[in-house]
Amino acid sequence: MAAADTPSATLRHHDLCSRGIRLARKMRSDVSDLLDIYVERQGLDASISVAAVDGVPAAAAERWAEQTGTQRLLDNLAAYRAFRTLLAQMLEEQREQLGDADAELGPALAAVLLQVSAFAYHLEELLELESRGAPTEEGSEPPAPPRLSLFEQKLRGLGVLRELAQWAVRSVRDLRQLAKHGPGSGMALGLLESQ
Amino acid sequence: MANPVPSACCVVLAAVVVVYAQRHSQQDSHIQYERVGADVTMKCGSMDWDAAVTWTANGTDIDDSHLNGSYLILKNVDLTQSGQYSCYEGSSWHLKYQTYLRVGVPPKEPVLMCRSNNYPKGFYCSWHLPSPTYIPNSFNISVIHGTREMVCEKDIFPKNRCHIRYLQLFSTVKYKVTLTVTNALGKNSTTLTFDEFAIVKPDPPESVVAKPVPNNPRRLEVSWQNPSSWPDPESFPLKFFLRYRPLILDQWQHVELSDGTSHTITDAYAGKEYIIQVAAKDNDIGTWSDWSVAVHATPWTEEPKHLTTEVQITGETLTQHKHPALRSPGYGGPQH
Repeated sequence: MAAADTPSATLRHHDLCSRGIRLARKMRSDVSDLLDIYVERQGLDASISVAAVDGVPAAAAERWAEQTGTQRLLDNLAAYRAFRTLLAQMLEEQREQLGDADAELGPALAAVLLQVSAFAYHLEELLELESRGAPTEEGSEPPAPPRLSLFEQKLRGLGVLRELAQWAVRSVRDLRQLAKHGPGSGMALGLLESQ
Repeated sequence: MANPVPSACCVVLAAVVVVYAQRHSQQDSHIQYERVGADVTMKCGSMDWDAAVTWTANGTDIDDSHLNGSYLILKNVDLTQSGQYSCYEGSSWHLKYQTYLRVGVPPKEPVLMCRSNNYPKGFYCSWHLPSPTYIPNSFNISVIHGTREMVCEKDIFPKNRCHIRYLQLFSTVKYKVTLTVTNALGKNSTTLTFDEFAIVKPDPPESVVAKPVPNNPRRLEVSWQNPSSWPDPESFPLKFFLRYRPLILDQWQHVELSDGTSHTITDAYAGKEYIIQVAAKDNDIGTWSDWSVAVHATPWTEEPKHLTTEVQITGETLTQHKHPALRSPGYGGPQH
């Protein structure tokens, strides 16, 4: 972990955390707008409840305060890689359903997909700095989307976006914890009083 | 050898005391709850209908017009008729029955509020009834998160409040809180459903201080502290909203501050007293706090110079030095 201890590494770490926080906050704002567009274009009720969706990483965390910095980064990276795949699938489905007729939802989905990809890359950089290195993505092909009815697809998409919005908030918190404790610490970070 | 006679007396006396206490405790403990407007019939214990009895309410004899035989009839009872009712046998004045009548109403739907002022530790729920029932009520609260039932620990003070510790953070699953209020005349309930972020509302900032800035007639320095109930402002920073106005105006000026716990107002009207308040919000989630306690401050003003008047008549020249407060507009901001 020698690289993580140098002053330049500390500065880079702080810089990456700060930029990451800004990225996450922008992403959250854009996902919130995307949710509004999605609900309207798909003809859904904004208050509808969606059960937990298979394959969508849940942002909910128990004992969040006790996580190590590395664990936070790994959880975040796994989540955003999954969202990258899910959003790409949603974009494909949206193009099949609405095609060129939709001038709003498609571009909004594409924009968020870009931000998710950028954020995933950002997390990989942070992990490199931690001298951990980013884990490789398993398999070369993403898993095929489940065969769902049109309505089920819409609900699944809603679940994906809601969970992504939650992750964006969590990522801001995770990166703040990371920034607070500096690079290269694999010890339990962010110890608040027990939840 | 101990004298047996005083011992026997003590035993008898003790037995009399016990019997008396038992009789009165049984009768004193009987409470009868009735709705406002109800018709109430009280029987004099095991006395027959045609027995001669006397009823009293809080020690005052009740008129025979309220009696049907030995039964006491109270029609369309109201709150003033709550009290102790006693029935005595005819001439012996033996107490035959006693009850405490409490007139009240069933509970209306309670008002329930849940809020997290100490995120991410947990949240609290508090409740009250919109109108009194005049009789004792009990409250039961249940908190469900997904399939999990959570414990809401009752606060000692205030007693209509309980708090829950978060077991999970960043969950999209909503919380469902149901409050049931029950009394002897009925029950009512209300349910709140919300997500983790929506109820986050810090307490107002504390220790707000506003001071003039020396030699700066248009500045006020304002500082404050994070609310002490917010457990970790470093990891969960707050942003702030400051509002200020001169006392003589109704319109507020607003400034939003994304970090720091101080701000310098630079456009204050010279010499005018200001009222200033601050509110707080988590940087990312929830709603704004209530406004802080208001503080007052007046910007620095120059010490008034000694009043002098020089009148020099030199052709058309006339010079006067006026008191600063009487100077024309353009000095120290707009006049009003």
